[in-house]
Amino acid sequence: MSDRTDLLLSLADDELVLGWRNSEWTGIAPFLEEDVAFSSIAQNEIGHARALYELAAAELGTTADELAFDRTPEEYRCAPLVELRRLEWARTIARHWLYETADEIRLGELKTSEDPEIAGIAAKMNREEAYHRMHAEMWVDRLLSTDDGRSRLKEAVDELWPYALGVLDDELRPELRRRAEERLERKLAEVDAVPRGVHESELAELLEEMTSVRRSAPPGSQW
Amino acid sequence: MDARTQEFLEYVQSGGQVETGDWMPDEYRARLIKFIEMHGNSELMGVLPERDWILRAPTLQRKLALTAKIQDEVGHAQLIYRVVEDLGKPRSACLDDLVSGKAKFHNVFHYPTKTWGDVGVIAWLVDAAAIVSQKALLKCSYAPYARIMKKICWEESFHILHGRDVILAMVTGTDEQFGLVQEALDRWWEPLMHFHGNPIPAEEDPMFVWRIKSQGNEEARQQFLEGYVSQIRELGLEIPDPALRKDEETGTWLYTEPDWEKLRSVVTGHGPASEERLAFRRLSRQDVDWVERVVLAEAA
Repeated sequence: MSDRTDLLLSLADDELVLGWRNSEWTGIAPFLEEDVAFSSIAQNEIGHARALYELAAAELGTTADELAFDRTPEEYRCAPLVELRRLEWARTIARHWLYETADEIRLGELKTSEDPEIAGIAAKMNREEAYHRMHAEMWVDRLLSTDDGRSRLKEAVDELWPYALGVLDDELRPELRRRAEERLERKLAEVDAVPRGVHESELAELLEEMTSVRRSAPPGSQW
Repeated sequence: MDARTQEFLEYVQSGGQVETGDWMPDEYRARLIKFIEMHGNSELMGVLPERDWILRAPTLQRKLALTAKIQDEVGHAQLIYRVVEDLGKPRSACLDDLVSGKAKFHNVFHYPTKTWGDVGVIAWLVDAAAIVSQKALLKCSYAPYARIMKKICWEESFHILHGRDVILAMVTGTDEQFGLVQEALDRWWEPLMHFHGNPIPAEEDPMFVWRIKSQGNEEARQQFLEGYVSQIRELGLEIPDPALRKDEETGTWLYTEPDWEKLRSVVTGHGPASEERLAFRRLSRQDVDWVERVVLAEAA
């Protein structure tokens, strides 16, 4: 597999799995407005995943759906940050904000790629992610505005910080630290990143549920 | 009935519409709140049977479509509760009454979803039954409710197309996939026949008298059967009611009398999934209770 395909699948798997996690809030978010917001964000992310899988599929001679659904858990390239099951609002917001901050750094690099397809898709994704970032920043402001919210956000960010570092390659991690510390006005722990390539046990559980309908008919069936 | 109320009644019965700031009889306001609140509750509770299937949707396209559909339903709840709020009952009070079991929601959302076949049947046929009722609300005597129904009907029509597409893919697929659809239809037929309510004559239905609804229950059910029985049968599916047929002379659909006592029991919280759904919503409300406190503190 080429480095290009590897990159496409890393991005696509991040977006698919995070989109899946965000969908877990559909119907049960703290406000109806957040239900609607997280459903929109999830749709954007699944849409990005599909566009990225299509590029990879063209190279691999397969389809976007087969890449999204029919691989084994070990074959996924997503960062452990998106795999974690954290159906709790402070952690959801912390992950959302950390991921979007990291993603902005990553997309900033990819927009300047010499590969026009990669640069094009990164620019398109970045246009939509801008709204996700505004949403995440609004919630960070809200949580920081009260003692209770601030302490819950702190606990959540500290828990997820090593995972957030793992979204990016080594050389981009200092920039994530700089942006996060500036925003939170505090130092974050010097820790090893939880990198891509290892998987949390939650990924296998997620894939088990995600593919349960698809696996119930023979491969190649229409749904 | 006092003269002012009588005049109001004649006004709405002759097609007149009422705005939020207009005078209205207390009974009219109370009935509006109860009816519209139940509609909002139904949109919100209707999310629960479907949400699990976003996570299990078998292709990326289906996942996107189902997420968008369910998002629409939440958006409808948001709009509808706003109408209730203008009539004097805040959204938080509606949600409190919903989770405590005091307020009702529609019968179809008291049932579990077992397979992907249910997802198709709900989006196609439950939404089709709903749109029959909702189209009749386009003429509601309370104008703000009638206005939001335009957007809601437009979106529901789209859900029906999505549902029909899910069903078509399955009935033209493997025998097992066809079987999932037939089993789902078998499960949902009784709730669908209950959907429009017992055949109380329109003139005895207070909702019709005040022209909150513009048609009676049986009229709505006949419209649904007229629109969908042939479509269902065209796909090779069998409707689980041997007595179902159209009387060509009268143009009326005949069917086995549904168990109306069962409908009453289901909508008063004794359906197969009623308690589980309410418990789930209570729990998820508790879990995020602190978020509301933080947001209110920030706004203060």
